[in-house]
Amino acid sequence: MNKIYIYEDTFLNLLTLIAYLTQYHVTPTNIKTSNYSPNLFEENITLNLKNNPKIIAYLKENYSYPLKIMYYVYLSSDTNKELIIYYFYLNLQKYRHQLLNMRNLKCVSASLKISHYVQNEAHKLKGFIRFTELTNKVLYAKVNPTNNVLIILANHFKKRLPNEYWIIHDENHHLLSIYDKKNIYLINEKNLQLNLQSTSTTYEDLWCAFYDTIGIKERKNIRCQMNFMPKKYWSNIIEMRNQNEKSN
Amino acid sequence: MTLKEKLTILADSAKYDASCSSSGSTRKNTGGLGNASYSGICHSFASDGRCISLLKILMTNCCIYDCKYCLNRKSNNIKRAIFTPEEICAITINFYRRNYIEGLFLSSGIIKSPDYTMELMIKTITLLRTKYHFNGYIHAKAIPGASEPLLKKLGKLVDRLSANIELPTSASLKLLAPNKNDNAVTKIMAYVKNNHSKYYVPAGQSTQMIIGATKETDLDIMAKSESLYKSYNLKRVFYSAYIPVNHDKLLPTLQTPPLKRENRLYQADWLLRYYGFTVNDILSPDNPNFNLLLDPKADYALRHLAEFPKEINTANYYELLKVPGIGVTSAKRIIKSRAYFKITFNDLKKMGVVLKRAKYFITCNNRYCLDKSLFKKDFIESNLILENPQIHNSNLTQLSLFHE
Ligand code: SF4
Repeated sequence: MNKIYIYEDTFLNLLTLIAYLTQYHVTPTNIKTSNYSPNLFEENITLNLKNNPKIIAYLKENYSYPLKIMYYVYLSSDTNKELIIYYFYLNLQKYRHQLLNMRNLKCVSASLKISHYVQNEAHKLKGFIRFTELTNKVLYAKVNPTNNVLIILANHFKKRLPNEYWIIHDENHHLLSIYDKKNIYLINEKNLQLNLQSTSTTYEDLWCAFYDTIGIKERKNIRCQMNFMPKKYWSNIIEMRNQNEKSN
Repeated sequence: MTLKEKLTILADSAKYDASCSSSGSTRKNTGGLGNASYSGICHSFASDGRCISLLKILMTNCCIYDCKYCLNRKSNNIKRAIFTPEEICAITINFYRRNYIEGLFLSSGIIKSPDYTMELMIKTITLLRTKYHFNGYIHAKAIPGASEPLLKKLGKLVDRLSANIELPTSASLKLLAPNKNDNAVTKIMAYVKNNHSKYYVPAGQSTQMIIGATKETDLDIMAKSESLYKSYNLKRVFYSAYIPVNHDKLLPTLQTPPLKRENRLYQADWLLRYYGFTVNDILSPDNPNFNLLLDPKADYALRHLAEFPKEINTANYYELLKVPGIGVTSAKRIIKSRAYFKITFNDLKKMGVVLKRAKYFITCNNRYCLDKSLFKKDFIESNLILENPQIHNSNLTQLSLFHE
């Protein structure tokens, strides 16, 4: 039987499991969250390990950059991410600080690539997020990221809009981050009922007017525009929503 | 006039400025609204593919000057508008809160005098920073001819302060912008350079040149850029393909703006700033203009084929950078990695090297990846040209015309 090791979907729990497996030289067929349904040749194994926060503290102290990379891979939507992190961690024991130079190792080149992709999506969304002001003064934004970048975005806006109440709603991962001028709370969307009544659209209209003016028509280049701002994000970018309506 | 009409007029007049960058500042949130992002953030992309990062507007499009190439020149009969400081603040703050922008890029036509105009700009930005506690990014255009005390004041409020050189030579400037002189512009640049600090224009200065409105060659333009970078410590020189907005016998009539040429200038500019090239490496009096079919680095490599192929496992950093398809990041990765293992062609892809361009110019462990007899200028040149996707789509018909 191929052994699939199961973890609760948190980074700490994943690292705890991986540390355990490497310590006892167990090679998993795969590592998955509990909703994984095994095929005929597989069995799910749950070890019920107690989360070990010391691992993160240790890595932070000694391998902060590799830790960051593992974290970003964890946030990704890559279907193989757990195994990639497992082999990355395993090789980290062996090569230590040299590991990141070993791009000829698949787990290294894959980790770097995925973490880059995640950071890139987070960076793009830092720009593409659009808040609307709800009647109760709360700023509300919807996002549809491929990777689970909500926490990165929330930390960004905590620094940027510290004196506002805001909510970022990741529809793809069914998560909300709520900020109350002090702390960020991550909440599953089914635990919250929102009243999304928004205030006047004065500034949205002004922004769309600005957007339509600022492009130089003699330089029109839609391909380049779409390259930088992929269509999958357009539904939440108000000035692009209008472009869609216009072309329909 | 409604606020929307004003915004449309004053954004329309500002859109020809190529700069949109919001990078280079570490301004922190100190209790109010916003902060700067050191690497800059693009919030949208306009229909021309350019990044929109800042609310790019003129304070007013009224102007006492009459620069030939400019939409706002005195002699043009167009709708004029002026923003009040409060209006600019309200739009900036409300756009920023909704995450439309990184900040404000404020420029202006000249009303009454350069000093009077600058004072109004200072008033606006002071309001934004103090009354509204705005910590986002601000780029202001200094008005040539404004006095030093005003430059001092403005520079303390903004992240970037810049002045546009507009044209590559003073002769051209005299011809097309008779009220301006390049002394006034370089005086601002020198002042900003000498006072630059964490508290004064922390994100540094940039400038812009209009390309194709006057007769200069690419060599003239690049030589100007090189000297500007050297003398004034500029972060960027922007090149803006000339777009005819006025009819004037002194101006050329162009069917389309010279975008390809602009693109080549940016590529060459990049080579100067990050790749250790000098203008003399890429252009010369016998070869004063860029090859429109090949980027400047590929063009250099083909004209200096004797320096190639470079051995990936031994070439130094700057030699690696000379290889088409190898950039700053991949060159650094190569140097780091080869201390641990011998690099093969297969590894290069994982390091971000664009192999389909680089393969002609390199060896790995003394192996050339093509037949050695193909290491010839004609062969490589035609392959590189055909590789370029833009050529495939737009110029292929043109190209086949040349070859017939
Ligand atoms: S100074 Fe010249 S370039 Fe500037 S707004 Fe006036 S006319 Fe236009």
